[in-house]
Amino acid sequence: MRITARRAAIIYALILAFLAGVGIFVVSLVLNGSEWASHKANRHIYAGGTIVNAGTIYDINGVELAKSSDNERIFAQSEALRKSVLHVVGDTAGYISTGTHYLYRDVLSGYSKIEGIYNLKQSGTGTDITLNIDSEANKIAYKALGDYNGAVAVYNYKTGQLLCSVSKPTYDIKNKPDDLLTNEKYSGVFLDKVISGIYTPGSIMKIVTAACAIENIPDIYSRTFECDGEYETGDGTVICNDVHGEENFEQAMNNSCNCAFAEISIELGAAKLKATAEAMGFNSQLYAKEIRLTKSRFSPSTESKSELGWAGIGQSTTLVNPSHFLAIMGAIANGGNGYAPDRIRSTGTVSQIVGRMPETIITIKPETAAKLNELLRSNVKNEYGDWKFENLQMCGKTGTAQIDNAKSHSWFVGYSQREDLPLAVVCIAEHAGHGSGVASSVSNKVMQYFLKEFTE
Amino acid sequence: MAETAARKPHFQQITVMTLMTAFQLICAACVLCRQEELSLTMVYIFFGYIAAEWIYMLIGALVTGNDYFELEAIAFFLSGIGLTVCASFSESYAIKQLIAIGLGLAVYLIMLLLIKDVHFASILRYPAAVGSVGVLALNLVLAQNINGTLNWIDLGFFSIQPSELVKVAFILVGAVTLEKLLSSVSLTKYIIFSLGCVGALFLMKDFGTALIFFFTFILIAFMRSGDIRTIALICTVALMGAALIIYFKPYVANRFAAYRHVWDFIDTTGYQQTRVLIYSASGGLFGLGIGEGYLRDVYAASTDLVFGLICEEMGLIIGLAVLLSFAAIAFFAIRSAKTSASTFYAIAAVSAAGMLLFQLSLNIFGITDLLPLTGVTLPFVSRGGSSMLCSWGLLAYIRAAGAPFEPPKPDIAVKKVQKAAPPKVKTKGGAAS
Repeated sequence: MRITARRAAIIYALILAFLAGVGIFVVSLVLNGSEWASHKANRHIYAGGTIVNAGTIYDINGVELAKSSDNERIFAQSEALRKSVLHVVGDTAGYISTGTHYLYRDVLSGYSKIEGIYNLKQSGTGTDITLNIDSEANKIAYKALGDYNGAVAVYNYKTGQLLCSVSKPTYDIKNKPDDLLTNEKYSGVFLDKVISGIYTPGSIMKIVTAACAIENIPDIYSRTFECDGEYETGDGTVICNDVHGEENFEQAMNNSCNCAFAEISIELGAAKLKATAEAMGFNSQLYAKEIRLTKSRFSPSTESKSELGWAGIGQSTTLVNPSHFLAIMGAIANGGNGYAPDRIRSTGTVSQIVGRMPETIITIKPETAAKLNELLRSNVKNEYGDWKFENLQMCGKTGTAQIDNAKSHSWFVGYSQREDLPLAVVCIAEHAGHGSGVASSVSNKVMQYFLKEFTE
Repeated sequence: MAETAARKPHFQQITVMTLMTAFQLICAACVLCRQEELSLTMVYIFFGYIAAEWIYMLIGALVTGNDYFELEAIAFFLSGIGLTVCASFSESYAIKQLIAIGLGLAVYLIMLLLIKDVHFASILRYPAAVGSVGVLALNLVLAQNINGTLNWIDLGFFSIQPSELVKVAFILVGAVTLEKLLSSVSLTKYIIFSLGCVGALFLMKDFGTALIFFFTFILIAFMRSGDIRTIALICTVALMGAALIIYFKPYVANRFAAYRHVWDFIDTTGYQQTRVLIYSASGGLFGLGIGEGYLRDVYAASTDLVFGLICEEMGLIIGLAVLLSFAAIAFFAIRSAKTSASTFYAIAAVSAAGMLLFQLSLNIFGITDLLPLTGVTLPFVSRGGSSMLCSWGLLAYIRAAGAPFEPPKPDIAVKKVQKAAPPKVKTKGGAAS
């Protein structure tokens, strides 16, 4: 009898095991609750796989980009606006995986560990999100791109705020085209190219090569280069865009001379070039705050001199991500400290008060940054012309990325030196030809809008 | 009564009843307010239930002269939540559930009477054993006829799940057999009986219930022998058996393929578990409100998944209160076992508590993907008559051992056993321990 009573203590072990299980459940509920509650299968938030009840998404000026009303998701009024902000706002079914709808679905659901999604249930709307995006600027950039696909992004290099972010092709979320998944013109439509795109950089890569030269060739500024339209590497030829004759380093940069930069690249060698590029964020996983960027890739050939030369001028296997390059421009403009472009201004009341801290993702030595700054300013002043970027005190670099069997991509990366306009811009227009054409013009249009916004 | 309360701290029956009534009134209000037209039947159901609780407690106190009703209070609390869930679905669910609770209470009282006397209980084991095997065999035949893997017998008016009733008998047979006649013959008989039950359930593909029986068998065996090595041996053999089954019948394993990967099978075999997780998280601590949830639209929401539904609509706090109630029942069972008058009661109480707790674990950890989903009910709370009868029947074993805060009873049974058959106990008992 007494023995049996003692053996009853086995139940204690059972109770303990049970409570441990309950503990595990509660802990995983606390840890994963927001992910679980904001899952696509949650009918409080989604209907038929698309978001119906969630917080409002505002742009920086308080324009409603998406909101919920009567179990329906309502988008901005104008079609151009809806198209231009599609990728930052995101679709409601989560196809655009970098869109705010999908990426911040837990926030939008209004989930809290204490109340679950009670607020959403009561009000039909969750936590509101305010973006840094100025939807008007997006509209301008979208229109400026015209028929070209590509990406445009503008950010404040002193705060990291991403003010404009457009990706094309796009579609109207309110009147979703029936042939969205079949029509060739919509290929890649769910990709936000600002975040997930990678492109051959062309001459904008010369900024990285120049940085490497500044840091590794002490007499680079007293060198002269000879360009006769072609540069023989011994195992191949690098072809230049023109015959530039005799030029110094700054002129070579202004001319975007392939001969000079191929020569510099070969002198530096693959290892040093790669080291500089990797210090600037190539080949590593970068995050623009919560958003994962596609990796920029740079692996110059150690075998072939001509391939190395081509890599140094942004061809060969080199690929860059627009957001990453925007942060590089930010670093140059901001004295070496490149902030991550941050799309979000606030998520809910707390972050409205506290604000979001900028986060450095690219660091360049201040001396190098200063010299690059001079070179980029010289590009605009001496080569492209300040008349192209009226009143902007623009610094920048164009790029013409050569693609096999197709028209080149047009690139422009740059920033304004004005104290009252601390903005950097990146633009890629696919198959639009020279960088001095479409990309420069689009960049200027968006920057002019911000100039008005910032100074008036 | 005031004197006893002053002498030692014990269960404050009136306070608990008042609080519980308040809770149940709030539940009733939540359900009633959601109805488009106030249904009088629903009002009667709730008030009838609350009145029944009070009447039971008051009469009980008058008859027994004490108020050791903590177990019943817990069972009423749990059943009340189950009733609320049923009422939030439909009136007919609520009526059926109320009847089930009433029958459960009747089973409870009858059981208490039947096993009041150890000798009478020991006689009962033959009909219980034969009846159990018979009913399972019948079930097996009928279930095959209906082409189902379901463990149900449809009687037209209502359907019953025989394995639920067998659970109650299983403990009686086990506890009596091992308490009274500790001969290898009776032990063998009990093992054969257990194998029969577990085997029948396996053939019905009701693995969850089979597992519960197996676990209870182990528990009873341990209570009697105290031999960890034997238990370990039995478990090893069982595990090997399970491995063999999975090897030869891979579809058995397929049923559990979603285990720990429910999010990969979100619209197939992980459907229920993922929905439980999604909606439990949605509920937060305080819930979205009774009737406001979406888990209720998922299959088996009021039966197997009822814990998830409680978390979503009433909140995690009440969900945890349900779970802790069972821990309290098990805790009381240990205390009762220590004060019980006979080994029979101690074994029965402990195995009943173990069975309840084990079934609860299979249920809530199954639907939340911490264990494989086996489709067993949440005792007292899940909708369904058979489960309710079984839960109250099991509770009777715990109560029969004595109230947890009751002073120890004189040790009758041991004396009687020693008087009746001293040589048997000395030789075999000594060998066993």
